Amino acid sequence: MNDKDMALATRRATLLHAAAKVARNVTSILNPERLLDETVDVICEEFGFYYAGVFLLDKSRRWMVLHAGYGVAGRKMLAQEHKLRVNGHSMIGRASGEQHALIALDVGEEPVHFKNPILPKTRSEMALPLIVGTELIGALTVQSTREAAFSTEDIMVLQGMADQLAIAIQNAELHREHQQLLAQAERQAHLLKAASKVGKEVTVILSIDTLLREVSDVICEEYGFYYAGVFLLDQAGEWAVLRAGHGAAGAQMLANHHQLKVGGLSMIGSSISQRKGRIALDVGEEPVHFKNPLLPYTRSEMALPLLVSGRPIGALTVQSREESAFSKEDITSLQTMADQLAVAIENARLLQELKAAHKELVRTKTFEALATSTIEAIHWIGNKALPITSTIKRLHEDVQALASPDEEMLASMLEDLDIIAENAGLILAVKEHLIGPAREQLPQPVIVADVFKDVITAAAVPAAQISCQGGADLPLVIADSSRLSRAFDYLLKNALEATAELEQIKIQVEIEPAEEEQLIIRVKDNGPGFSQENLDQVWAAFYSTKPGHAGLGLSATLQIIRQLDGKVTAFNAEAGGAVVEVRIPYTTEKPPAAELPTAKKILILDDEDLWSNFAQAKLVEAGNEVARTGELPAQLAEFDLILLDDCLVNGDVTQLLKALRKSGVTDKVVVLASSLSTERATALMGYAVYDVRLKPYTEAGLAELML
Amino acid sequence: MEDEIRLLLVDDERLVRRSMEKTLFRAGFDVTVAASAGAGLMAFNAARGEAEPFDLAILDLHMPNLAGVNDKNAGLELLSRLLATQADLPVIVLTAFDEVTRAKESIVRGARAYFVKGREAQLIDLINDILEL
Repeated sequence: MNDKDMALATRRATLLHAAAKVARNVTSILNPERLLDETVDVICEEFGFYYAGVFLLDKSRRWMVLHAGYGVAGRKMLAQEHKLRVNGHSMIGRASGEQHALIALDVGEEPVHFKNPILPKTRSEMALPLIVGTELIGALTVQSTREAAFSTEDIMVLQGMADQLAIAIQNAELHREHQQLLAQAERQAHLLKAASKVGKEVTVILSIDTLLREVSDVICEEYGFYYAGVFLLDQAGEWAVLRAGHGAAGAQMLANHHQLKVGGLSMIGSSISQRKGRIALDVGEEPVHFKNPLLPYTRSEMALPLLVSGRPIGALTVQSREESAFSKEDITSLQTMADQLAVAIENARLLQELKAAHKELVRTKTFEALATSTIEAIHWIGNKALPITSTIKRLHEDVQALASPDEEMLASMLEDLDIIAENAGLILAVKEHLIGPAREQLPQPVIVADVFKDVITAAAVPAAQISCQGGADLPLVIADSSRLSRAFDYLLKNALEATAELEQIKIQVEIEPAEEEQLIIRVKDNGPGFSQENLDQVWAAFYSTKPGHAGLGLSATLQIIRQLDGKVTAFNAEAGGAVVEVRIPYTTEKPPAAELPTAKKILILDDEDLWSNFAQAKLVEAGNEVARTGELPAQLAEFDLILLDDCLVNGDVTQLLKALRKSGVTDKVVVLASSLSTERATALMGYAVYDVRLKPYTEAGLAELML
Repeated sequence: MEDEIRLLLVDDERLVRRSMEKTLFRAGFDVTVAASAGAGLMAFNAARGEAEPFDLAILDLHMPNLAGVNDKNAGLELLSRLLATQADLPVIVLTAFDEVTRAKESIVRGARAYFVKGREAQLIDLINDILEL
């Protein structure tokens, strides 16, 4: 073997050694970056080349990007993110475009060689495409300081190495993808575990605050986030109020009553107003992020609205120390968790409402049972007390008629009788108060304002002391107007008594429709208001702060209003004075139309009030001739029907009835009242009128009256 | 005494009945009492049979009816029966204070007045008014 043969054999052995080393690396190194680094090192160190570099095709498939380069030159080019265009003028570009190896044995003569100032000593260069099957994935460059440095064997060995490398790169890439998928799957499993934990908790934790605390803790502990907090909307829906927050920052913010304006600049505020999740992957760049000094390390933040049937009830904030911390999976699982949480909060809230409603129902039923038994008891006691007053009266007469009485004893006996008489009188009064609301009921559609105005008229309250707002355009309430009058009378008396000692009495009655198809009747006075003790007990039977009162008025009012499925509340106005607010459901049904008699001559003896306006309009509309006046006209006989209101502001009903009787027309008279008692009805019937009726407030009621 | 005004008082409440009887007696009336609609009708017929008819009847509403069964309209039933026999008999109906419908019904059936129990002093005035005494 000559020297040349010897050198060739040695080189072959080196090549084979290098190829074997690369092959070993290819099979053992799964980190692609390390594989490429090792490969360029082996090529240069084992083959003795000046430089080797590996380019990989970028996603656009237009550029070959340097991923590994030998030595100082390689590091410099990597730092410059060196890349070469596929199909460009460089050897790498051409070899990649043409998908075959290119060799420039003297790069000075190679037209496509890109003169690289970082590799000034290169004299020959080889560019080998990295191909798997038919797919180009990158290219290998090998450079030498010698001209014509590459032998046929070098080329063969290096091409073989390049092919191996291509497969290894693809394998490493697949391995990386698998690792990524595995990590994703592990994280997903973790998230599912956390979501399932939250899911389990939302079904068992029924206290809203406990639930929210657990959820914010689970999100931080299981997902590894920096902070999580839950906000719920306040009643007005204007502020998102923090209800749970993780860790010390959360505790501090809860102590500070942290809240954010809905629709404001914060991510929470805007996510609620826009009803969609907001993600700031770098909060420094997020214009609506509210920089929170208690969470200084937040770098990315997610705000997810809590929606129930599209309606926002709050929002969840999740914050991370890392930029771009939220993966697609995080967002999906956290949104699912937020949706579950919203439903759970709503369920807990409904449960609380249900519990409150149940408590109220039990209270109402207990109250009703007590009221019923009290009424029965009072009825019985009242009946037994009936003869007492008469018996005392007779005893009074007997005692006074005694012959030669002892004056002192006589006075004492008379005093005792007075005591018994007063107490018997109270028992009878109690009986009338309590039994009243429980007796027969005549529910019909009612103009509430007319009923209240009649109560004011009957109580003869001077106009300067009282105002009553609310007209006939308000919805009708289905009620027994006599009972309603009784309730309003108690409320009015309460206000009058509270203001009795004032120089300037001011009572306001406001009647207006409210939400949930309810009518509000508010009675305000300028008296001293309720004391706290009064507020607690004002509705209890037999509770009164006024001497000589049985304390049954407001209790009876409550009972009457509850029979109408209504509510009564008492409170003090901010400006002072007591307010009693009655809420009763109004009817949404349009009163049925009815056929009214026509071509009749009708006289309405009434003031110009809500009822007479209504009755006159309806009767005229039906084609009747209607006259309304507070005084008797001369020609009474010509009227077919005379309607007389029993409650006149300007006029005396008794005088009118007497005059009507004198004129012999009482058989055409129907007396109408918003409230009727037995005594009043029988007294009015005593004038031989045709009928005494409750005022009709509908066309059908009027038609019935005219029959 | 022939000049005495004869009243029929029908009420099933013993003490109420007795108290009213005493009040009416003191006011100078000749009072016959009955504890049910049936007993009241019997007393009414008996008085007519003896040619000493009542000048006025005071009837409770809620008491045993003519069949002896407790009935809230027993007084109305008795009222109709009495007026069917003696159309000009003044009748005062007694009961609780706020039974408007039944009060009106009693007036429609021919009662002269409706009186709320427990206010006996006013009852004397009412009887005097009706009988124009």
